[in-house]
Amino acid sequence: MERFSLLLIQSYEAVKAFKLRTLFCLVSVALGIAAITIIVAATEGAYKKAFDIVASFGPDSVMLMGGSEESRAIGQREKTITLDDLEAIRQAFPTAYVVAPSSWVGSVTVSYKGNRYQSQVVGSSSDYSIVWTWPVVEGSDFTEDDIRRYANVGIMGQEVARELFGDQSPVGKFVQIRNLPVQIVGVLSERGTSPGGGSLDNRIIMPYTTVMKKLINEQRYVHAMRLRFTDLENIDGRVEELKRLLRYRHRIPDGQPDDFRIFTSKDIVKFLVALTGSLVVFIGIVGVISLIVAGFVLANLFLLSVKERIKEIGIRRAVGARKQDILMQFLTEAVMITTAGGVVGFILGLVSAQLLTYVAEFPVYFSWKAFAIGLVLSWVVGVGFGLHPARQAANLVPIEAIRT
Amino acid sequence: MAAPVCIMENITKSFHVGDQDLQVLKGVNLTIEQGEFTAIMGTSGSGKSTLMNLMGCLDVPTSGRFILAGRDVMQLNDDELSELRNEHIGFVFQSFYLLPYATVLENVLVPTLYREKKKDHVRDRAAELLKLVGLEERMKFRPTQLSGGEQQRVAICRALINDPELLLADEPTGQLDSRTAEEIMNVLTRTNERGKTVVVITHDADIAAYARRTIHIRDGIITES
Repeated sequence: MERFSLLLIQSYEAVKAFKLRTLFCLVSVALGIAAITIIVAATEGAYKKAFDIVASFGPDSVMLMGGSEESRAIGQREKTITLDDLEAIRQAFPTAYVVAPSSWVGSVTVSYKGNRYQSQVVGSSSDYSIVWTWPVVEGSDFTEDDIRRYANVGIMGQEVARELFGDQSPVGKFVQIRNLPVQIVGVLSERGTSPGGGSLDNRIIMPYTTVMKKLINEQRYVHAMRLRFTDLENIDGRVEELKRLLRYRHRIPDGQPDDFRIFTSKDIVKFLVALTGSLVVFIGIVGVISLIVAGFVLANLFLLSVKERIKEIGIRRAVGARKQDILMQFLTEAVMITTAGGVVGFILGLVSAQLLTYVAEFPVYFSWKAFAIGLVLSWVVGVGFGLHPARQAANLVPIEAIRT
Repeated sequence: MAAPVCIMENITKSFHVGDQDLQVLKGVNLTIEQGEFTAIMGTSGSGKSTLMNLMGCLDVPTSGRFILAGRDVMQLNDDELSELRNEHIGFVFQSFYLLPYATVLENVLVPTLYREKKKDHVRDRAAELLKLVGLEERMKFRPTQLSGGEQQRVAICRALINDPELLLADEPTGQLDSRTAEEIMNVLTRTNERGKTVVVITHDADIAAYARRTIHIRDGIITES
């Protein structure tokens, strides 16, 4: 143990003494580790965000949207899903504990006593907070009765509430939506942003019957439908059945594409992974390349260092160092430098990832894992690329090393 | 009487130079008893460096019998030779060979790094040795802050830290002026007077005069005067 601590002290002295070598090796390793740190943090961030989204979307949830992939791609939103489909689905899927229609108006001016706000109005069934796992924190949901009566009632997101009412409670108050006086019965909890980056807290939820009849003048079609199943384990099968049912009801011949789209939480994760994936791959390549470059920088500088320190190696061998002692000494020096590089790199990665979140919607999450991976990689570089020069040092013939 | 520190019987050493075998030592017989102060004299090319390397176990003979500190050197592998050097031989070189980035004290302690049998109080012992050569005030200095004579005194302390049987000095005064050389030779003499076996390799008769026994080497063969 004492031998080991003496070895560390001696190596530390050498690391301190050969400052330029230390600096170059340290910086090059640090850059590589910084890149790796960002990747790990980004990957973890993406997973964490995906996990959060799946949790809020609901892993048992399925979103059904009207219109085919093709029409979506060219920016059209066809309406293909009817209230009859809704009823058919309700009957066909006994394990679907939620079958909720959804229709919306993208941009509506809502006003309250001269305050105006651009809001999104979403028509839903009466159990919106259950359908979306999105609790009402003040007041309550509207009711089944409100749906039947085409009632002018609504619940609103935090942002609208703040903009229109300030510190006041909106519950019980009437707002003007287009020409419609709507009584606010509840306020939703804060939700943040969607995976695409838009705010989710600027919406007002109303009975879908009211929205269809009084705001978009629509009898049959809804934009989308949300389902939740009690048998989570069968969800893939349920999605297939849903697809078949709708193709049958919409009379789509074989070989023709669906006129609807179905999303599960898996699709959302896929979307998110694709979003961060390309960036991760890019930084990943940069990180690996810079680590390899760092390794070669280290190996070269250490080979030079071995040449420079031939006399030192000779005298150490003369006073009793075995080959493995010399090997260990140079390896320790290398690992010491790369470890420092790893720590510096981690901090560098931490800072630059933080900067990255300012310029791009880029989820990062730091854990001990990112630090551990960076540290282990820096050791791998230290040992991997330090080994050759260390061997060269160890295999020097002592009498040649100390020949004057 | 205790066993001799070094016994060489009919030692030869050859080197391959190109496709020729060059025999540098041609049958050396030499015994060094404990407590001796011996000078090995020879001109350059006489084989004295080769003899010094063999005696210091930095290299092994081509043939012959070589016992050092009771061990048959011919039978030892590289690690065992390292251990032998570490425990039984102290080296002093012409150009000191101190580690430039380590302090005086750390330099003296280098051989203890590689010592298998740990000894307590190595730092105290190093300090004591440095005091004996008058460097107790310089322990935290770097070698570059010292004069040549001081550096060689540090090297002598380093050679003695593991308490070896044999102190081997190769042209220890080669880079020093005559006054400093005298100082160093006095240190070596005092070391010998304290019971240490000392062998000095030199080409300088004035230096050899400090020793009680002088061996000449010429063309790979030794003669005693």
